[in-house]
Amino acid sequence: MDHGKKKNAPLKKAGPLENKCTRRSFLKGVSIAAAAGSAGLVTGGCGSVASSEEAKLKWDEFFKKNYRLMTQEEKDATVARLEKLAKLRYGLDVQVSNQEPLDNVLYGYAFNITRCKGYMDCVEACVQENNLDRQSKTQYIRIFEMDSGQLDPTSGDGKYFHEVPVEDKFYMGVQCFHCENAPCIKACPTKATWQEPDGIVVVDYDWCIGCRYCMAACPYWGRRFNWGDPVVPKEEINTKQHYLGNRMRWKGVMEKCTFCVQRTRQGKLPACVDACPTGSRVFGNLLDPDSEIRFVLKNKKVFRFKEELNTDPKFWYFMD
Amino acid sequence: MNILTLRFAFLLLPAVMLLNSQLAIASQDSVLDRIHAADQPFDNMQIESAHQLPVKTVLAKESYQGGTFRVLARKDAISRYRCSVCHTKKTPQARDGALLTHGDITINHGEGKNELACIECHDRQDRDFLVDMQGVKIDFDHSYQLCGQCHFRPKRDWLGGAHGKRVTYWAGERVVMNCTSCHDPHSPAFKTKMPETYSLPLDE
Repeated sequence: MDHGKKKNAPLKKAGPLENKCTRRSFLKGVSIAAAAGSAGLVTGGCGSVASSEEAKLKWDEFFKKNYRLMTQEEKDATVARLEKLAKLRYGLDVQVSNQEPLDNVLYGYAFNITRCKGYMDCVEACVQENNLDRQSKTQYIRIFEMDSGQLDPTSGDGKYFHEVPVEDKFYMGVQCFHCENAPCIKACPTKATWQEPDGIVVVDYDWCIGCRYCMAACPYWGRRFNWGDPVVPKEEINTKQHYLGNRMRWKGVMEKCTFCVQRTRQGKLPACVDACPTGSRVFGNLLDPDSEIRFVLKNKKVFRFKEELNTDPKFWYFMD
Repeated sequence: MNILTLRFAFLLLPAVMLLNSQLAIASQDSVLDRIHAADQPFDNMQIESAHQLPVKTVLAKESYQGGTFRVLARKDAISRYRCSVCHTKKTPQARDGALLTHGDITINHGEGKNELACIECHDRQDRDFLVDMQGVKIDFDHSYQLCGQCHFRPKRDWLGGAHGKRVTYWAGERVVMNCTSCHDPHSPAFKTKMPETYSLPLDE
């Protein structure tokens, strides 16, 4: 009987709307929309193909696991769904990567407070690379203009806007330090944030409930909260994304610097390092004795910010 | 017998817990412990996505950590290279004067009476080359050899990676910027300018 039905189907030439509007599919649509908690979709139980496809994708997305519990197949499936959803929503061909950490790699970062001139090219590059909210001007990096002799950014000016560098001032950049003993990870009640084997502290945005405990726990002001849905102009969206990095976030989730996980796992430098016109930023593999970051640690005067807190950050400041 | 084993278990429990916590502390290495333990060379070339670079580079005539590295080529960026096209034995025409005198270049390199003159870096005989204080000809692509004779500390840092910057990749073959990629050799200090963007106060 089934066989016969299939044979007849091409003859009918029904439109997509008509085809979809059986009793069963209508109820399915309603249940999906209701479960997703979206009142707007309930009325669209018998809507267009596109919206029902979107609802199906959202349904599957809603019931996925924490990223760390997913098998490789599940990771690939969710990445494919996110790419399709981005296509439906923005009409963009987004590539969401789920690249695993590289073996024998531990990322480290060094910042030269003698060389930094406060040009803030790094901040702008970070905003572009990581699809940060343009409306609330979310920035992962803050540059403080400091009086000489001071080493605590709270004494500096974080919102300067005048010709730089100013005589007798120096500039100190603060961002997520990817602590080995990170207080934000301990504070998270849903285990939505953790440290990857390559040392990057990441957030599973789908698992974050937006309680902002991590924000309160971080002594370095390294985390940012989305008070509203992030606004990024369509033509400025960076389509090379990573599941744990710069994929599009939404209202009510935490986000933070990920050392540009989508770039660094491919061997590239983070966007801030690449953009710095003064070469103040050094990035590399701490487990490689021949890396530049190891040279800095071995040969320059280095210090870590608030080292006494025992957070063990992988971010050093150095001077010439 | 049952009670005996139970009592034994209760006695053992705190000891086991203590041992566990000790192990947990021992297994949580600090970053510095991990750095000190990592003394094996890392094969940077295994990361295949870091292989291709769309820029012209030359092999540096110095060594980095016992190995080789590359620097950005310079000669392509000099618009009027080769210099010997104009700098010939032929007497220049007066009408070409404006073009030939390099009036667009202002030298702001060296302080006070130590300000440099053109021929302190450019070879008087062969204008296609630079020349150091000992009279050794230096290729424009390898200008770090020239700069390093005065700026030896920045050069030492540059060789190791604490000064200057790598191009695009942290992995793969080491490609770094030349001195002249960032510094104008005639006026090497960085200029003051407006910052690229600004920050809003944090809501704390």
